[in-house]
Amino acid sequence: MSGYVREVSRRVFAQEFRESNLTFKDGDDQYSPQYLLTPTGAKVNRLFIVGTLIEKEDIGTDSEYWRGRVSDPTGSFMIYAGQYQPEAAQALAECETPAFVAIVGKPSTYTNAEGTVFTSVRPESISIVDVATRDLWVADAARRTLERVKDLDNMDSNVVKAKEHYNTDKDHYSSMIREALRSLKEDL
Amino acid sequence: MDKTAESIKSKFLELGVDIPLEDIVERLDKLVTKFKVPLDEARRSVITYFLKENNLDRNAFFGGQSTTPDSRSTPDVKLNGIDEGGKWVNIKAKVLQLWDSSHESVSQVGIIGDETATIKFIKWSRDTIPDVEEGKSYYFKNVVSNEWNGRFEITLNKNTVVEEIDEDIEVISSPMAGAGDGQPAPIVNVADIAEDGKWVSIRAKVSQLWDNSHESISQVGLVGDSTGTIKFIKWTSAELPDLTEGSSYLFNNVVAQEWNEKFSVTLNKNSSIEELDEDIEVASSSIIFAGAMVDVQSGSGLIKRCPECKRALTKGACMEHGKVDGTYDLRIKAVLDDGNTAQESILKRELAEQISGITLDDAISMAADALDQGVVLDQMRLKLLGKYFTVTGSKVDRYILVDSIEPQDEMDMEMLDELIADAEMI
Repeated sequence: MSGYVREVSRRVFAQEFRESNLTFKDGDDQYSPQYLLTPTGAKVNRLFIVGTLIEKEDIGTDSEYWRGRVSDPTGSFMIYAGQYQPEAAQALAECETPAFVAIVGKPSTYTNAEGTVFTSVRPESISIVDVATRDLWVADAARRTLERVKDLDNMDSNVVKAKEHYNTDKDHYSSMIREALRSLKEDL
Repeated sequence: MDKTAESIKSKFLELGVDIPLEDIVERLDKLVTKFKVPLDEARRSVITYFLKENNLDRNAFFGGQSTTPDSRSTPDVKLNGIDEGGKWVNIKAKVLQLWDSSHESVSQVGIIGDETATIKFIKWSRDTIPDVEEGKSYYFKNVVSNEWNGRFEITLNKNTVVEEIDEDIEVISSPMAGAGDGQPAPIVNVADIAEDGKWVSIRAKVSQLWDNSHESISQVGLVGDSTGTIKFIKWTSAELPDLTEGSSYLFNNVVAQEWNEKFSVTLNKNSSIEELDEDIEVASSSIIFAGAMVDVQSGSGLIKRCPECKRALTKGACMEHGKVDGTYDLRIKAVLDDGNTAQESILKRELAEQISGITLDDAISMAADALDQGVVLDQMRLKLLGKYFTVTGSKVDRYILVDSIEPQDEMDMEMLDELIADAEMI
């Protein structure tokens, strides 16, 4: 009972999420949680994203399997929901595009034959939200990403690991944050 | 399989128990054939079953070091000689206090003492040992010492023999003095309560009364003074008058208890309560948390509570009172997440109604229409998930008990400008 701690929902922009490809497990039994380590050192087992659902398609053959594309100011997230995510699949089936959606989900990765890693999100929940919530999320994600960029000089083991793997360019991500925030300012 | 059964049988025979072979074979066969359990697992399960049936110790069977001592070899010790956990000892001691048992599995709990020290003891309900009485002296044979949070206690078990003795054991004048003998324990500040098992008196105001979770508890909640707040538990058996939220009292002779590094005070038979005229100022223990609602957990929405103890029912039954005709209530158990912390929060009916826009009456008719209580939770999830909220409340264990909740639906422009300025600097 006391051992269980719910995984925090990390805030990561679509661009950084797309540029992530390092997964690892904490511990080595089959129930150890899997994490995606992003270039700025976010250790992600769960994500919270708010964006615009711009495409959706049932790509399932036997049963419904929904693919959606959710965009934020920096790019887009791919989301996949099938029979094991019944609530999310139903929400995708019923909603219209475009729509503002809030998604809580798990990161997942797929490596193609050429060895390229694609990231996507397996949603636990999808809900329709308003534009204000979407803007709040952009500011929220900017703040958390900024915190991570500032911490890139730390010797924290996740940061060290991320920098070693990605050779993280600080300017690349700080300009991403600035652009996202400016877009917010322009819209308002 | 027959071989396995025979080996089990002969092993039990060595322990002096004759189990009919066909009984063993039958159990083994059922597990292996019908439930497809591997033979090894089945063997273990059968052994465990018969050990339990015959009240035998596992270690006796598996020939490991026996934890059931031969009472001839158990040493008689004085209480101050108990300095490690897991030792079997015999002690002669006097029962100084019996506390109210907090759990049905505990039949008696309290303090015993001899001329060298006092120590807490626990007697489990599962062991049929006659009850001890306050003020009498006993010879406790085959009890086990335990270490718990750096303190020692003794537990009585099924091998324990308790004999009342005629001599009146002299007891060390203990730090417990003051509790039972009419002298009130010293008055302390709430923030200074930091020693498990210590008797204290406090002057404090009842800042919250919570839903009661157990029939042996008459009231539970928070009391506070200018230095802090602390959880209190008032046992039903203490037969004390009920406390009112917002009133201030002098609590004489309450016991500090530590649990998971947090302290609470319990009010028991030796405690007394005097209402005070003054209004004690309580240090604010309220915290603020802002984040996105990432989960509305099961157990939220329309629930039924036991009319006796207010505990939420599971499948129409109360853990304490069994099948009861519950009364409806609304609540939300939400997870708010700010990207660094996932904070569980509990909203009671008024707040659940306020943010979901669903009143208790709405919820009852929604559930009646759908023939399903779950529709209320579904509606709440639809309405609340993914949105930002700010809550205030008090932190209790891993929850915030929410006092107020506001949706955050507007960008704080000042904050945004600061954030932009911050981002320009790197």
